[in-house]
Amino acid sequence: MNRTASRIFALLFGVLAVTLPFFAGDYPLQVARNIMMYMALAITWDMLLRSGQISFGIAGLFGIGAYAAILSVVRAGMPAWFSILFAAIFAGGVAFVIGFLILRLRAMYFSIVTLALGEIFRIIIHNLHDFTGGPEGVVIQKGVVFGGKANSLYWLVLAGLAVAVAASTWFEKSKIHFALTAIRNNEVSAKSSGIDIFRWLLLAFVVTSAIQGLLGGIFVQSYGFATPDAVFSADFTLLPLAMALLGGVYSTTGPIFGAVLLGLVSEWLKLKIPYGHLVVYGIIIVVVILFMPQGLRQLVRRTPHGADGRSA
Amino acid sequence: MIKLKTENLTKRFLGLVAVNKVSFSMEEGEILGIIGPNGAGKTTFINLISGIIMPSEGLIEYKGTDITYMPAHERARRGIARTYQLIHPLENLTLIENVMVGSIFAKGHGLREARTKAEALCHELGLTGLDRDTSRLSIFEIKKMEIARALANEPEVLFLDEVMAGLNSDETKDLIAMVQRIALERHLAVGVIEHVMGVIRELTHRVIVLEAGELIAEGKYEEVSKNPRVVEAYLGGGTV
Repeated sequence: MNRTASRIFALLFGVLAVTLPFFAGDYPLQVARNIMMYMALAITWDMLLRSGQISFGIAGLFGIGAYAAILSVVRAGMPAWFSILFAAIFAGGVAFVIGFLILRLRAMYFSIVTLALGEIFRIIIHNLHDFTGGPEGVVIQKGVVFGGKANSLYWLVLAGLAVAVAASTWFEKSKIHFALTAIRNNEVSAKSSGIDIFRWLLLAFVVTSAIQGLLGGIFVQSYGFATPDAVFSADFTLLPLAMALLGGVYSTTGPIFGAVLLGLVSEWLKLKIPYGHLVVYGIIIVVVILFMPQGLRQLVRRTPHGADGRSA
Repeated sequence: MIKLKTENLTKRFLGLVAVNKVSFSMEEGEILGIIGPNGAGKTTFINLISGIIMPSEGLIEYKGTDITYMPAHERARRGIARTYQLIHPLENLTLIENVMVGSIFAKGHGLREARTKAEALCHELGLTGLDRDTSRLSIFEIKKMEIARALANEPEVLFLDEVMAGLNSDETKDLIAMVQRIALERHLAVGVIEHVMGVIRELTHRVIVLEAGELIAEGKYEEVSKNPRVVEAYLGGGTV
């Protein structure tokens, strides 16, 4: 996508996102909320990918945020809106601590550890029965944000998406862009130019994790309940990944574009063949990888011609 | 004035001693040649000084400060810059952005200021078409870009690791003049690893010779090139 086309697309998308509640019914609004949630996650995944680190831990941090939000309301009586903020802070804090341990790892080692961490978080919450409610989960009896009103919840999710887009734009326009791209391209060169690699990776990991936690908080506050299987679902890792890959990585517009496309297609497929959308996700990942002979690694090491994240 | 010195600098990789008790120093304004046969430990030596790998023993002192175990990025900020034997362009950044990186992170300049400084550097080195992707650059341009990126650190000590390799004779001549001018104008201490002896003879004030990790000779090129030990180690007999 060239610059002009992507600007027009971004503008159209923005106008649509803001005006939708004024003319759309409950069903399209619900679909839009869903798509925007995954879109925001796809953007955060891409933000970390710009450093060359492929995370499979989105669901883990999303779930951590979700439980931080719901438990702070149910167990500590925190106001609903504040619990969403707390979710972001908590997930960011967790990322800060584990970042010290895992950000020495690279490539598939990092990916596998993030995948495992997500699963560990799920098991911990599953087993801390007295505090977390175990496999049955937790329900918010009262104090759901906006009393669960669909229109208001739409704005809440849109706000979460706006945070992701703003952070991603900040990553693109500031020196962070130079730091992450240099680290992705060549760590030795990056060091020789004075880049403190660990510090920038930690920043990217904490910021993206905090936003994933924030979105988890928004998610539970929208539905009023959390179970380990619902909030740590592999969907929260795989769908954003497929969306970003489809739309084009290393940019903000790529994941947005991919999310709209994949979100609409899957919604249509859900009606036609239940669970068929999962097959489509699988096919998309396979096709994308097939046409990039070196697979994910190629994505990390170089940008295919015409899909350059910088100009998108 | 001594900018940089090492004392008994040693690096062992398991059983192999890649750099063995090397002591040397570099003065401000000096262009020092670092020569020796393949596998002599020249690049390892520079890797130790720039902090890409850490020494097993010994001392590295930069402007009177012990930097032996300082992280590489910190050394870059304090003024030690280098290029690499194998070219390392940041391929997802444009030519000008590659050069900006050093300015942004080693010197902490803002993006706008870094760009202005990078443009001036590129102009000085005769680089044009600054918004091109690195995949569209010639080898000569990439070499100059890597020198510009190192200079963007505003270094006091600069190492060039086989920067002339792969260039034709006109380009080599250009680059020799360029390096001499840069060193003179900035009062740099420059360390040059090079295999082409003509380049070493023209460019350097002094050379050190490494063989099997040890410093076996140092002095002016004319003296060192007649040193029997150097002739044997470096060329396996014959003349230079």
